[in-house]
Amino acid sequence: MAKDRNSVDYGGPLRRLVLAVLILALTGTFLLWRIDSPRVERLRAQVTDRILPNMDWAMAPVTGTINLFRDFQSYRRIAEQNAELRRELRQMEAWKEAALQLEQENARLLDLNNVRLDPRLTYITGVVLADSGSPFRQSVLLNVGARDGSVEGWATMDGIGLVGRVSGVAQNTARVIMVTDASSRVPAVIQPSGQKAIVAGDNTAAPPIDFLENPDLVRAGDRVITSGDGGVFPAGLLVGQVAEDPGGRLRVRLAADYERLEFLRVLRHYGTEPVSDTTDVLTPAEEAALLQEEVPE
Amino acid sequence: MSELNPARPWTMRIAFAALIVVILFFHMLPLQTATGGWIWPDFILAFALAWSVRRPDFVPLALLALLFLLADLLLQRPPGLWAALALVACSQMQHQARSLRDASLATELMSAAAWIVGVGIGYRIVLAVLLVDMPSLAPALLQIVITVMAYPVVVGITHALMGVRKSTPHDMGSAGVRT
Repeated sequence: MAKDRNSVDYGGPLRRLVLAVLILALTGTFLLWRIDSPRVERLRAQVTDRILPNMDWAMAPVTGTINLFRDFQSYRRIAEQNAELRRELRQMEAWKEAALQLEQENARLLDLNNVRLDPRLTYITGVVLADSGSPFRQSVLLNVGARDGSVEGWATMDGIGLVGRVSGVAQNTARVIMVTDASSRVPAVIQPSGQKAIVAGDNTAAPPIDFLENPDLVRAGDRVITSGDGGVFPAGLLVGQVAEDPGGRLRVRLAADYERLEFLRVLRHYGTEPVSDTTDVLTPAEEAALLQEEVPE
Repeated sequence: MSELNPARPWTMRIAFAALIVVILFFHMLPLQTATGGWIWPDFILAFALAWSVRRPDFVPLALLALLFLLADLLLQRPPGLWAALALVACSQMQHQARSLRDASLATELMSAAAWIVGVGIGYRIVLAVLLVDMPSLAPALLQIVITVMAYPVVVGITHALMGVRKSTPHDMGSAGVRT
């Protein structure tokens, strides 16, 4: 009880000492983070890993209930939604027909060329456990961690488009920094013009396109895919479509559905192999030597 | 009277910790995966200040520091900085608790608003000085304003629902401790 009485003495020297020690410890943590960020971030990942999976049993039902209420609100617009869907369905029928024809043609062409698609790009699917918890950061926590072989830097998709990259792996969980986060930069190619650019997240739903060489060649609606430059993301993942904002700036309308991220694919990516040695193209001297060898016969 | 029970400070300390954990829990729910959602007030800071003014003995500094650091770690903030600033704010509010005891809500609100703004601005200044990437200015300012506006509501909840009220001389006298 003596301790309690001390703490009632609000201006006491003991209290001032405790305050000083605590502030020193907290400031020390912050400075350590500023100096050696990876180490402290690993500690953060471990703390999250320890706490969040324990909360999961409570989070799932609460999330489900809140989503149920949100869905309930959208039921009120059900008639107009239905009409809209019918309209879209009719368009989709046409597309489906076109897609089937293209698929057959594509299969024939692949067969003709004997193409083997990259077999090493397999994936692990994980469930989204939690979001970043603040409106200033765009990230989610997945339930696949080092235990499942997840590695820092691997790309994640939602089945259609790129969502982000793994950053911060703990034993059971991994954090995914999304393309929309202010710290995200994705090297991309805009098709069909083939212009290279960087998709730079800025905390908005449609990240702007930076470092574009010739904006005149790019039109709204063009496809944006990852270029594979920098070696973090594999090449050829769909990011989204080009759109122009009212200010005339080019942005990417993302293909992934960020409103409801429930499952994410983590793509196993072991890096593109760099072409290090020069190819064995015959130099004039070697060509001469070869010719010499052949001549004696 | 339940205030006479010597176990009550500990019950209330645990209750405060549980309250902060529940707030964090709602922050972490995977409901807002898209950008541009609502900006919520900083309830952790508001509740910590409100409890600090009312009953400093329910929120010891060590407990506050631990919970603030946990919040920093879970909410992807640079660990330690916001926690240190918020701890200074709360300790100053605890220091003023005696003078604010008889003051009106308006006086308390002024004092709390000053500390909320101070924590928000100080946080950005330190981040800017140390060249850390920080969130854009407009939503951050908006969050400070919303937090100040939410403070009276938080005080109401603390006072009415949680029963954390400013101690009266009667309470202290019956506990046998001079104030």
